[in-house]
Amino acid sequence: MDIFSKLFEMTAFGIVTYKTVIMWAIAFLLLFLGIKKKYEPLLLVPIGFGVLLANFPGADMGIVAAENIELPDGHYKNLFEIAHDYGILNYLYYALIKTGFLPPIIFMGVGALTDFGPMLRNLKLAFFGAAAQIGIFSVLIVSMLLGFTINEAASLGIIGGADGPTAIYTTIILAPHLLGPIAIAAYSYMALVPVIIPLVANLLMTKKEFKINMKQMDKLYPPKHQIKNIKTVKIVFPIVLGTVVAIFVPSSVPLLGMLLFGNLVKEIGSSTSRLAEAANGPIMNTATIFLGLSVGATMTSEVFLSPKTLGIVVGGFIAFAISIAGGIVAVKVYNLFAKKKINPLVGATGLSAVPMASRVANEVALKHDSNNHILQYCMASNISGVIGSAVAAGVLISLIGG
Amino acid sequence: MEQGLSNALNVLIVGMATVFMILWLVVIIGNLIIRVTNKYWTDEDLKKSAPKSNHPSASKGAVAAIIAAVEIVTNGRGKVTKITKQ
Repeated sequence: MDIFSKLFEMTAFGIVTYKTVIMWAIAFLLLFLGIKKKYEPLLLVPIGFGVLLANFPGADMGIVAAENIELPDGHYKNLFEIAHDYGILNYLYYALIKTGFLPPIIFMGVGALTDFGPMLRNLKLAFFGAAAQIGIFSVLIVSMLLGFTINEAASLGIIGGADGPTAIYTTIILAPHLLGPIAIAAYSYMALVPVIIPLVANLLMTKKEFKINMKQMDKLYPPKHQIKNIKTVKIVFPIVLGTVVAIFVPSSVPLLGMLLFGNLVKEIGSSTSRLAEAANGPIMNTATIFLGLSVGATMTSEVFLSPKTLGIVVGGFIAFAISIAGGIVAVKVYNLFAKKKINPLVGATGLSAVPMASRVANEVALKHDSNNHILQYCMASNISGVIGSAVAAGVLISLIGG
Repeated sequence: MEQGLSNALNVLIVGMATVFMILWLVVIIGNLIIRVTNKYWTDEDLKKSAPKSNHPSASKGAVAAIIAAVEIVTNGRGKVTKITKQ
């Protein structure tokens, strides 16, 4: 009998609670969305599995709060002690996430995959990437009214930037205890871009606006300057832009600087192609695995099953929708004064979700007019949205975190 | 609470102003770089150094594709100096 009792104690049956089962259900849902529905599978699969690992009772894989690794003299345990006391996922979390290391590394890979060409060819459209950041700052105020602290509200608002690494980076600094729910909300809504953009666009745009043909507008009002040497422009642009932005918003440099570096090694061409391939291949893939698993492991039942999570889910959606609406309204206002009209769907792509937002907007435009290809114009405001959300994150970190 | 909301409003104003200013700078910098390169480093300069094909039917696109392929295969070490038809 004694041996059976010991066998039972060895298993986790005695410590499985209803909260554990709820967290398993959430993990299975995330895995289902990633695997079957193919919603951001590269992130939802590691995050979902991280949630599962963190909630296996007795495995002690969940991320512990920072108080646990703080020593009485104000210093922190070293990484060996963290690994010994709390396991490998805590080691990864405190070494790679808490230090803010992985999001900029992923941004470097994103930079190596980004082509600034469409934005450089339609520079004026970059302004709509700024307008679409309004969701970040307006939800900051709404969240405070709902009882979030200013640090938590800022982390919630950044979901409206539609940029996973930016949301994670900002939350690590401002409200690390909300990292799990915010990362999940950010990536879930990014996966739902094909639903949210048409929804907001149908609410705010007229049929006539959907049919504004950008190519016809270009023929009627051709751009003043043609780019005669795009390769050189693309190489010089990240160097100069990085230098200027670093002076104005230094706190955005970890994200934006790495994005621009990744882009530079891509644009230089064959002589640095190995660096670009490493940045957007093995390095980014490795970073994504560790980021996803560690972020997922922060979602223990104690952290996730709280009213604040519901607030984050709702608030994140509102931030996302306001950002899309902000871009659309900005184009509508511009069209009131300009001869050369712009399709407001271009404004809807001022989010960072590149290139999905552009693809979705292009499909919506094609539904209304099968000849209206607006992809390259959408990419212009879409790419500027990446810069805009990184700058917005820098502002939040400076003003609130500093 | 009022103090917090006032702070949040300040963040909204400063934040949006900064984002617009930076993207305005993106437009300015982009235009400036385009003008400077158009003036001092046009595509013609590149074309002068590009190899010429002896074969009249070789299109510009085909020549560009050959150059790009050689660059990738040789990791930038190889240069196309002459293209002839066997």
